[in-house]
Amino acid sequence: MSASGRTSSAATPLARRGLLAGAVAGVAALAAGGCARGASTSAQPGTTSISNDNATWDEGYRSAGRELEKITGYALRPLSNPSVTSYQQVVQMTLQTSKASDLIKWASGYQLKRLARAGGLTDLTRVWQRYADKGWVRRTSRQALSYRGTTYGIPLYESYYVLFYNKPVFRRLGLSAPETWDGLLHCAEVLERNKITPFLASQVGGWPAIEWFQELVSKVDPGFYQRLVAGEASYTDDPARQAMDIWQDFMRKGWMTAPDFDQARGPGALKEGTVGMFLHGTWQASGMAAAGMEPGTDYGAFILPTVRPSTAKSVIAESGVFVVPSRASSHRAAMANVGSWLDPSVQRVWSDFLQDSSANPKVRSANPVVAGLQRDIARNRRLALVRYWEASPPSLIQGNTDDLGGFMAGQASAATTLRRMQERAHDEWAAWKRDEA
Amino acid sequence: MSTPTTDRHAPTTVAGQPAPSHPMRRPPLVPTWSATRERLLAGGFMAPAVILVALFLLAPFVWTIYRSFFSDTRTSPFSWFDNYTLFASDPALSRSIQNTLMWVVGTVVLPFVLGLAIACMTNAGRFSRLARLCVVLPYALSGSAVAVVWNFMLTTDGAVNQVLTGLGLDSLAQGWLLTWPGNTIVMILANAWQATGVAVILFLVGLQSIPPETLEAGALDGAGAWQQFRHIVLPQLRPVSIIVIGMSLVNGLKSFDLIWVLTQGGPGRATETLAVSMYNETFLELRPGAGAAIAVVLTVIVLAASWLYLRRQLDVKGV
Repeated sequence: MSASGRTSSAATPLARRGLLAGAVAGVAALAAGGCARGASTSAQPGTTSISNDNATWDEGYRSAGRELEKITGYALRPLSNPSVTSYQQVVQMTLQTSKASDLIKWASGYQLKRLARAGGLTDLTRVWQRYADKGWVRRTSRQALSYRGTTYGIPLYESYYVLFYNKPVFRRLGLSAPETWDGLLHCAEVLERNKITPFLASQVGGWPAIEWFQELVSKVDPGFYQRLVAGEASYTDDPARQAMDIWQDFMRKGWMTAPDFDQARGPGALKEGTVGMFLHGTWQASGMAAAGMEPGTDYGAFILPTVRPSTAKSVIAESGVFVVPSRASSHRAAMANVGSWLDPSVQRVWSDFLQDSSANPKVRSANPVVAGLQRDIARNRRLALVRYWEASPPSLIQGNTDDLGGFMAGQASAATTLRRMQERAHDEWAAWKRDEA
Repeated sequence: MSTPTTDRHAPTTVAGQPAPSHPMRRPPLVPTWSATRERLLAGGFMAPAVILVALFLLAPFVWTIYRSFFSDTRTSPFSWFDNYTLFASDPALSRSIQNTLMWVVGTVVLPFVLGLAIACMTNAGRFSRLARLCVVLPYALSGSAVAVVWNFMLTTDGAVNQVLTGLGLDSLAQGWLLTWPGNTIVMILANAWQATGVAVILFLVGLQSIPPETLEAGALDGAGAWQQFRHIVLPQLRPVSIIVIGMSLVNGLKSFDLIWVLTQGGPGRATETLAVSMYNETFLELRPGAGAAIAVVLTVIVLAASWLYLRRQLDVKGV
């Protein structure tokens, strides 16, 4: 007993010590990890951190940051969170703390209004005014960047919703980019006859369900679209019914992909020639490049024609914004960078990276397809309409997006879907106005 | 086995005098320093766990209950049970309850029946180890990874429909994840594919702990294979069955990851369970009050189901 007892009593403290040491080391490692995470948003000389929900844009921010550094002395340091849902939660929570990033990528319109309403954003009215005086920003975009007359966002990019198409396939079938509604229907018929699904339509990930809705309603009546998203028209009105009937008809004819077709596969499907036209934002041009398609040679793009020739021409525009938290770790540096973001030298690099149109109208896109669309928008004086996702209160949009997804999957008729959307619009607009009051 | 009464030592007094002989009469409790010290020590050891549970489990739960009584407008006024009435008025939540019930039934019945069948079939045999490995392997995968694999199989242009089309069974090809209730059923099957592994392991442990003498005795008495299984094996698997059903019950009620990756509760909120609805209402629809009400209802259901089930089962066993 004595020998074994001694041995065991000597071994136990050792084992205990080892366990304790391990536990302490583990806690220390966790604490160090936590600190490292916290440090990522803290001030670092010569840089401004930027919270971003698209990790594929990190290199673009770095490139544009190098140009910014020449002007302001501060580069950009992207911090990415690729999950949009968790990104939004993290941003809203950190905005109220001292760990907020210097710059935050956010959506414009009501998404921005909701963030601004909660407080914690810097007033950027003077920065916007300086840009407007130089002609580096479209004055018409101010409404979508402001809340109660104060501007809180500076445009990060500007994209348009267009139909990408495979040029060689169109050429082979004797088709060209349609300029009229009848031309569009003809293209779809020919593609369908050749066993190519004419249109890509998806509800994977939720939000893509809005794309065809906003596009068809605005091409039936752009004025109605504006009234609808402002809560001044009903979802059960004729133009909305007409748009849904067209959509239903397209699906019934087999002109659209199954609703569970993932849009991430869009560029590949277009390249293979299994899908004829892909409705998406022009920011998808970088996806086309990644799929090995040359703009102007392998793919082109056009804006969906209006249903009637007499209808005013319009385009759905999406604009991301930069906001500056009032408690940003490097607030001065953030203000300097946001004040030079739309400088043409910075936008040249940024636009080239995105292969998209810049928010600065004086910077022409290097992508010939996007540049052609910019010319079309200017020549036809197309009315720029705010994308549906940002055009009404977020709770209303989220619920209606779910309903549109259900409609695409055949769970509800067009009439039922519109009725539900209108009921929600009634409740959510009342709630928004009550909150504003 | 001795009863707790006979196990209990007679307490002693401070002066060290023997306790009164009457077993039912308690002496006045005068705590000694050592007893106090022991209690303090015990309290000290328990404190970290109690504090952690209170801080990270009980406090958020109490706050969630509190939040569920406030509306989701900007000023969040007290709204009594308004958030709870959504269960009656919101069709998405009614569908969510239906789906949750389907998940509970599916995740209890399928892993139990399949797990038991596979365990019995692979308990002995030539290729039993290989077969067991094949069944248990999916359990080692994360729910999200399983969902990604099944997504590849179940989309309209996915592997399942391609195989069906290749075999000339075009009429059977369909959008597996698009229409209710088919989409919920295929997700339950996908979940069973993964969850059966753990049931197999547990049932194998149970089978191997059955004394072979009992089976031999049954065989000598002329019991056939089915009778042996029904009257000898199954009763002895009762403790394991309780664990398997209890785990499956709770897993079914809190199913989330597979659904979220495969459909995100869509299309049109058709595949949501209560756990997904809670997340959706709170973080996507931006209605934390409604989300809190769903969380409370879900917690009450999980606790009630677990308590009712385990109380009944464990009481019978005498544990």
